[in-house]
Order: sequence, then C-alpha cells, then structure tokens
Amino acid sequence: MKANPQIDELLSSFIDGELPLRQQTEVQRLVARDAEVARRLRQLQNCKNLVNALPAEPAPVDMLEQVKQSLERRTLLGEHSMSVRSGAGARHLKIRRFVAAAAMIALMGGLGAVVYQIVVPVSPGGPGRPVADSIHPVRVIPDLAEVAPTPSVVAGQGFSGRLELRTTALAQADAFIKAVIEDNGLAGFAESQVLPDRRVYRIECGREGLDRVIADLGPIWKNFDSARLVVYTDRFADAVVVEPVTVRQVVQIVGQDNSESSVHVARRAAVMNSFAQAMPGRDIRSVLQDDSTTTIATPEIPRPRLASNDPAIKAIPAPPQDGVQASMTIVLLNTQ
Amino acid sequence: MPLSAASINIDDSVLVQRSQTGDLEAMERLILKYQGRIYNVILKISGNSDDAAELTQETFVKVIESIEKFKGKSSFYTWVFRIAVNLTLNYCQRSAKMTTRSLDTEEDEADGQGRQGLKEFLSDESVADPAVLAQRRELCALAKQALLRLDEPQRAVMVLRDIEGMNYADIADVLNIELGTVRSRLSRARSHLREVLEAMQK
Repeated sequence: MKANPQIDELLSSFIDGELPLRQQTEVQRLVARDAEVARRLRQLQNCKNLVNALPAEPAPVDMLEQVKQSLERRTLLGEHSMSVRSGAGARHLKIRRFVAAAAMIALMGGLGAVVYQIVVPVSPGGPGRPVADSIHPVRVIPDLAEVAPTPSVVAGQGFSGRLELRTTALAQADAFIKAVIEDNGLAGFAESQVLPDRRVYRIECGREGLDRVIADLGPIWKNFDSARLVVYTDRFADAVVVEPVTVRQVVQIVGQDNSESSVHVARRAAVMNSFAQAMPGRDIRSVLQDDSTTTIATPEIPRPRLASNDPAIKAIPAPPQDGVQASMTIVLLNTQ
Repeated sequence: MPLSAASINIDDSVLVQRSQTGDLEAMERLILKYQGRIYNVILKISGNSDDAAELTQETFVKVIESIEKFKGKSSFYTWVFRIAVNLTLNYCQRSAKMTTRSLDTEEDEADGQGRQGLKEFLSDESVADPAVLAQRRELCALAKQALLRLDEPQRAVMVLRDIEGMNYADIADVLNIELGTVRSRLSRARSHLREVLEAMQK
C-alpha cells in the first residue's frame, strides 16, 4: 500500500488512543473492511512498538554531583546559562566572554583590596597604629596581620585556616571573642592585634579546643554580615574557600582527624554553598543562621561573659593537653 | 512501560514550591526523580551518551537557575522536559556534523543475523510485542540507527511519545507546537522510520 499521509495520520492517532470516539469507530470499520489499511496499521504499530522496546539506559550515578560542580564552576566564573534561542550562539559567546572578563577584573580588584587591607604598612604613631589590648590577658603581638596567614604551620598533620568575619558591631564582637577564648582556657594559646578597622586573633592549640571556641561563637554568628573560611593545604594555591560559611561547617571542618579530611569536608561545604547560592531566594544571612535555634533576628550581640577573678563566676577549663594541632587566624572586620 | 504523566506529578508541586524558597533537599529530590528519564530522552534524541550526560547536567542547572520564574502555568513535568528537549535540539542543530558522522560510520552495519531479524519484523504478519522485541538486541541496535536517521524534530516527537509515553497535549506543550502538528509530525516520523528500516534491510 502506498503511504497516504491523511490515512497514516488517522491510523497513527488511533494507535495512540488520541482520536475522539466517533473517529475511532470509523477507523475500526475501515480496518475491518480494507486489508491494506489493516496492514498499514500493523506497520505503524510495529514502528511504535520497536521504538518503545529500545532499552532505557540509566543516567550516570554521579549526575547530582556533576550538577553541583557545574553550578560551582558557573558561580566561580560568573557564567550565565546557555541561551536556548536559536541564532543566539554568537551573541551568547560574546556575553560569556564579556562576563568572564568582568568577573576576572572584579576578582582581581577584590583580591587586590583584600591583600592591601592585610599588608598595608602602618605608620608609627599614625591613626592605623595597632593599639595594645589591656582588657584581656590575650597576648598582643606587634602586627599579626603581617605574619598571618601561616599555611605551613600545621599543614599535613593538623588544621590551618583563616576565618574572616564582618560585623557592624566590632567592639562588642571583639569583647565576645576574647571572652570565649578566655573561657575556654586558651588565652595562653592566642595572640591578638587591634587595628582601627579590624581585630586579628591567632589561636594555636588542639583541634578540640579550637572547635570549642568556634562552637561558642554560635550565638553571635547570625550577627555577622558575612563569614568566610579559608582552609590552607600544603600548597597555598590549593587553599579552599568556604563562603558564606556556617558555624557548624567550621566546627565540622576543624573537628576532622587530619588535614586531608578537613580539606575534603571544606571542599564539600564549598560546593554545597555554591549550590545554595545558585538557588532562588538565597539569602546569605539565612545560610549563616542555619545553626541558630531561632529564626527571629536579634539585633544585639550578647554581652560577653564577665572576665572577673571571682572563681565562682568564671571557671576556666584546663588548657588542651593534645598539643598544637590547629592554627586559626580569626580576622574580625568592621563593616562600614 | 513508560510511566504516565499523571502518576509522576503527585508531589511535584510541593517540591517545586519548596525549591522556590531555596530548599536544597527538595531540588535534589526533583533532580533524582527526573534525571533518569531526562537522560534517556536526551540520549535517544542525541544518540551519544557523553553528550546526553552533559545536556542532562545543563538541563538541571537551568532548572535550578530558573525555578524561581516557574509560575506553574504548565506542569513541572512538561517544563523540565521542554528545557531538556530545547537544549538537545539546539545542540543537535549546532553540531549537525555529529549526526552525519554517526550515520556514515554506522551505515550498512546490519549483519546477516540483524538483516534476517529485520526481515521478519518487516513482514507485518502480526503486531510485535515490545517485550519480545526488547530481547532481540540486534534488532534494537538497528532501530537505534534508524531513529538517528530521522530529522531531529521527528525524532523528538517520537521519543517523547513512544519512549517517554507523553500524550499529544503534553508533547505540544513541550515542543511549543500545535496539537495538529504533533499528530502529523508523529505520523510522518513513523512512516519515515519504516522506510529507513526497509532501506536497511536491502
């Protein structure tokens, strides 16, 4: 039978059950009285069945992970999604190149600003001169910002990282952090530096001690405008940046048994955060607050615990006995 | 047998709403739910597993980036397939050489056994059972080759109907074409596939 497009269309729709009842009846009558039409119906039905019989192949098992990594790459490169409109390829390529170039410039600018903030020389007696801390017995060193970070301190065995926190309430947050360091009996293991726009603390102690300090920052975490953790590896170029980082993530990363595990957990957290940032309705503050027990924002940073000499008020736990396994530089920055 | 569209839509709206508020777990569940079917449809249209994996990835990245804009005018099911099929068809258009190359290399690959199986299949003495056909690997391999010889719009409509099991209305929605166009394109695709198979038999 020579193919007739109208008959084929009718038969094809009949096979799929997509004909109204009246037309279905007509097709059934036609098939019953015309052997050629019946044969054509079998041909089309067999074509459908053959395609239907093609085996389904499973998607790659790591598809979800690949999607996350793809999102992370896009986030890092500032890429936009590919246009699906036809003829937009060349324009899309131009836009991608432009965005990539802009992202690179922005990245370089941002990096330059950060480096400048860290290494800018402080003129003696000038407004940027470090102020000695006399309130708490945390050791003060001349210019901690110049010596931090020190990726090689514990790389390979322990943890080495830098935690950057931004807040509008610098003084209160500073007092709180110092109280936390003291309350955990780590005053002798910490050094601090006071600058007009920032406070820098370097803590070198056991992982457990550092974990306790970080965990104790939980109550004020939601008050930070941003939180960023840099985990150093043996090679500086391989440092892992987790941003925005939650207090739980920092505790998990620091709490690992070895450097390799810490880096692994940090990378995973970075991917998850990247994934979260690509989601709609994302809100850095909400991510930062995921550890808080309440969703109600508290504008006030809690007052630090009293640093009194009264042993009834202040019980200082014993310093860590597990040796130096972790080095963390906490940089508290003032958000203007 | 392909699942019907209705049976997979049960919890989609809830998951979509949660995803729109930034719920990662809900989005992951949507991805896990659809990744296999999306991959399979893309694979059957593109004919290449590496391309299919990449396009599936691209589809879900686009879903994540656009979920906020999803207003629910169509079902999530057809929306996600629309993204996948559009990406695949655009990709196929851009890399038309790929299809040509694969056809060139696979031409006349029907060996004696395959040709015999194809001859039996084309005799049209009866309607073949898909379950029985699925066990005849040589025939399925030829069917894959034949499917790749259809032009992409015909291939897409056939894959959506005969593999994914979509109804005509959903296909029209996914491909953004009229219902009548779905009807005629599908009919031509089946007729064309038959001609290709007959040519392979000779």
